[in-house]
Amino acid sequence: MDAGRHPLIDVVSNAEVIGCEGRPGDFRVRIRKKPRYVREDKCVACGLCVDACPQVGGNEFDVGLKARKAIYRPFPQSVPATYVIDSDACLNLLGFLSEKQRLRLAKVQKIKQRKREDYQPNLLVCGHCSKACEVDAIDFDMRAEEMEVDVGAVLVAVGFMEFDARKLGNYGYGRFPNVVTSLELERMLNASGVTQGHVVRPSDMKTPKRMVFIQCVGARGEGGRPYCSRFCCMNAVKDSMLVRQHDPEVEDVTILYTDLRAFGKGFDDFVQRSRDEKSATYVRGRPAKVDHVAEDDSLEIFVEDTLGHSQERIPADLVVLSVAAAPNEGAMKVADILGIETDVYGFIARRDPAVSAVETTREGIYVAGSAVGPQVIPDCVAQASAAAARAALYLTGYRVEEEQKTVDPMDLSGPPRVGVMVCHCGVNIAGTLDVEQLASHAAKIPDVVAAETNLFACSSAGQDRLVELIKEHNINRVVIAACTPRTHEPIFQETCARIGFNPYLLEMVNIRDQCSWVHAGQTVEAQEKAKALIRMGVAKARHLHPLQAGEVPMARAALVIGGGIGGIQAATDLAAQGFPVTLVEKTDRLGGRLAKPNLKSLYPNMRPAAEVLREKVDRLKSTDARILLNTEVEEISGFVGNFEVTTSGATQETFPVGAIVLATGAELHKPRGEYGYGTLPNVLTSEELEHAFFEEEEAVPGDSEDATSRASGVGGNKRRSGERSDGKAASPFESVGSASFILCVGSRDPECFSGCSRYCCPTAIKQAILLAKRGIDTTIFYRDIRTISSGAEEMYREARGLGVLFIRIPPGEKVEVIGEKRAEGVRCFDDLLGRRVEVPTDLVVLSVGMRPRQPETDRFHDMLKASIGLDGFFLERHPELAPIETAVEGVLLAGTIQGPKDIVDTVAQASAAAAKASVFLAYDKVKLDPVTAVVDALKCRGCGTCVDICPYHAGELVESGPGVYVAEINASLCKGCGTCGSWCPSGAITCRHFTDRQVHAMIDAFFGEEVTT
Amino acid sequence: MKAVRTKPRPKRTPPKVPANWNPNIVVFACNWCSYAGADTAGVSRIQHQPHFRMIRVMCSGRIQPGFVLRAFERGADGVLVSGCHFGDCHYISGNERAVEQFEKTKNVVTLLGLEEARIRLEWISAAEGARFAQVINEFTDQVRKLGPSPLAGNGRAKE
Repeated sequence: MDAGRHPLIDVVSNAEVIGCEGRPGDFRVRIRKKPRYVREDKCVACGLCVDACPQVGGNEFDVGLKARKAIYRPFPQSVPATYVIDSDACLNLLGFLSEKQRLRLAKVQKIKQRKREDYQPNLLVCGHCSKACEVDAIDFDMRAEEMEVDVGAVLVAVGFMEFDARKLGNYGYGRFPNVVTSLELERMLNASGVTQGHVVRPSDMKTPKRMVFIQCVGARGEGGRPYCSRFCCMNAVKDSMLVRQHDPEVEDVTILYTDLRAFGKGFDDFVQRSRDEKSATYVRGRPAKVDHVAEDDSLEIFVEDTLGHSQERIPADLVVLSVAAAPNEGAMKVADILGIETDVYGFIARRDPAVSAVETTREGIYVAGSAVGPQVIPDCVAQASAAAARAALYLTGYRVEEEQKTVDPMDLSGPPRVGVMVCHCGVNIAGTLDVEQLASHAAKIPDVVAAETNLFACSSAGQDRLVELIKEHNINRVVIAACTPRTHEPIFQETCARIGFNPYLLEMVNIRDQCSWVHAGQTVEAQEKAKALIRMGVAKARHLHPLQAGEVPMARAALVIGGGIGGIQAATDLAAQGFPVTLVEKTDRLGGRLAKPNLKSLYPNMRPAAEVLREKVDRLKSTDARILLNTEVEEISGFVGNFEVTTSGATQETFPVGAIVLATGAELHKPRGEYGYGTLPNVLTSEELEHAFFEEEEAVPGDSEDATSRASGVGGNKRRSGERSDGKAASPFESVGSASFILCVGSRDPECFSGCSRYCCPTAIKQAILLAKRGIDTTIFYRDIRTISSGAEEMYREARGLGVLFIRIPPGEKVEVIGEKRAEGVRCFDDLLGRRVEVPTDLVVLSVGMRPRQPETDRFHDMLKASIGLDGFFLERHPELAPIETAVEGVLLAGTIQGPKDIVDTVAQASAAAAKASVFLAYDKVKLDPVTAVVDALKCRGCGTCVDICPYHAGELVESGPGVYVAEINASLCKGCGTCGSWCPSGAITCRHFTDRQVHAMIDAFFGEEVTT
Repeated sequence: MKAVRTKPRPKRTPPKVPANWNPNIVVFACNWCSYAGADTAGVSRIQHQPHFRMIRVMCSGRIQPGFVLRAFERGADGVLVSGCHFGDCHYISGNERAVEQFEKTKNVVTLLGLEEARIRLEWISAAEGARFAQVINEFTDQVRKLGPSPLAGNGRAKE
């Protein structure tokens, strides 16, 4: 909706790209716009045509579970809201006939054959919709149009398709009616979906008693798709919970899984909740087949419970297949046209899967979301913003400054003179309500000086009439009784603003969406309701105040805190767009975790970290970004557009910035004596193993007999005690014959961090592969293998192929490291074998999780008032809609400061943060919405309730006199929710545009006339 | 000592519900979820009972006890307060504040001798058009059973 309304976004729907020439910054893209047979400029989305249409087709949005007409709106919130005719189903367009049949028909109709592409017989056998349409929007003569656009960059966001579960015959999808896909279940669970939120068995429409979810259908090996689809585990957990909450009749839900990949922020806690609430039984196993029981259409699933060590036959009434994501059919074609590559599966290929999530193989063309492979929504949104940041590099100079139109404000003072316009909306309103009577009722309300109806108030004719009306009657309050203010208020406000009529003196009354459309059968009551709503609208309008949007100047510069890979990327993207950027790094070098000796190579393609870092740092240094090393941020005050930053350390100064990107990263968990860490020399963390890889590289081969150098190897490591042999050390892996990795150290542990750290599974596997290739017997002790990043599942397979042993440890079980002076073996319960095992080992590697970096996290939390989540990481404003933003406007998050993630995701988030920051910096002023709360200093008693309550920390107590405190609300921070107004004990706070007086007047008007108090 | 005898409270006779009587219900809805949910019901043409009037505010956190009490004072038979689901609030935590306000309001409403069932708090998302309709129907029926509010008519300016 927002995109559809944005003045700078053109949505060309029902279209495809057919050509792309040129170079980055100067592409010419050819687009073929397919005919929709409904004119966008005329259609008012009333839906009369749908009622008239006699032809029924399958509804794609409800995955065929529901029917739709041949003329339809793809789904209720579609943009544009215009209807479209399915040429394959429409009787007029006859798309369902073959070319030959159409020609024959045309001959009968004696229609000359035109160009083949252009040819359409249009026999007009039906035409019900065009007769029904009141605004003549239906146009059967519409033809496909070609258009050319000149663009600087191209973003590909073609998404994915559902894997066709029919390809896996053993699950019986398509053969047995009660085997459905997760998407079909999703449509059933949706309150506005096919069954209004009830789960039913398609065979008899009864509520299933026993449900079984089968995970990884078409993913992780089956049907030739080795990758993991990322979202299905959580989706199944969520759906199982929804089903149980919604339908108590569903007695039993079983989820058959391979690994539970709850890798995202808060996902593990969610799964735990599901286990605690017993909303589902989890069985680890992949079913061999699903059998059909003919008597009652129920099903039986054959599965080996790999943890219970038994063969099971699970009966079910409904089986849900959590189907994998497959590449979009059209992705290959799009890739061909754009000249970019696809990967082996048919997804759009990334230039470098280890570092960049959004770059395709061609410069100037970027990709976002599941077009590169399955993604979860937060990652999709972050990548989309990241892609926008990269694309913006080619658009500098095209930045659109807002036009400064100055219209003299009209004089609207004096007692209220209300003008009411009642909209017919064709027959949408007028078909149910008597609009003329509504207008005459409105005319009798005190202070109403003019009331009239209009066929379509939102049309340009309607808008012109509104302007005339205002001028004719010297109106100073406008009430529009039409549709919902959520979509149409901006249109009317704009019209008002154009003539200098303060847009906040307009009130909309919703008599369509919330009256005529939903009370069609009850005309008398609906009419009464509409009258009351209009009275209420007029009552509010009387008390409306003209409001002026405030403005404060924007400091058009950005601050990036933290010089790791996230900070480097964010600073680069901002500086390359031409914004002054200051990057503050506490240490003496850039790179953070990527710098030597923290990380040697990156998964999945083993690219040397140093090379990646050099590339990124060079790129940063080629911009004008100011890099302050050995410097810390001492203090930040102010608000969006006007932050004031004070630094300490090597560079001490105070400067203004408009937006701040926090990229201080995370810390790695420091084991405290667990697993013998710190006492046994050959127990390392995963990071220390990376150090060893560097040591190995530096080691001189052939000098290995030296006993002291051997001691420095990881086999008998003493580095922490300070002994370190210089330069000529032997390979640290010289004496290592076997190695064991222990995963989830400090993650998924309620005592440290209950979430998943995401990066450790693929990192451990990468390291295991490196060791296995050196001939070391490697064992990985894991809880769930969560190889969710691109290419990681393939790495997992490679590791298994190399003989790396994977031992699953049950939840709650602690792996035991045995040995007195050095670790000699690892002992634990093998969940899959069902007995205790002991693995001799020369080296133990602890894959440590991430945790919030302290004291930075707490310091910035105090300074900026941005919230911190329960897990201690910074909290994003919304996990799906705003994963980059904090609740504090102008403060953005990049990388692991927001939660554990790997390098690809960090880089994507950093670019996204840059994009979000540039949205603020693009303007030289910050526009302040006038719908805010204001404090009456005379009434305020300085109790501070509002200060405590505001989630945006907009309130502040200031000393107005000696010992006298009053609250002040900062208009730049206030979002206008009005919560403080409802809590203020002394009634000192006015919530503009929703004042007590206005709401009271509305209540009074409901029950007759307004009571003047 | 003589025990103070308190008069037993007269039991209120169950109100007579006039035939074909329909309640007057005030619905307070937040702009982002519940009001939008009602719009969604409209777009999907999900029919429901028409005896309520919507008052839109930006956030359910804005809905103060005074609004609800004024509605009852003026003659409302029922008041529905609605907002976003927990975790979905457009203003982070406004709906959590709304719960606190609602609890307070409920106490006052019952203190006034009104039935608790005349006031209800519901979370309805922008997508839940069907749920909005269902809540409206349920609540309307619930209030209809209770009959006219004993306060209806008392606070009006003119009869």
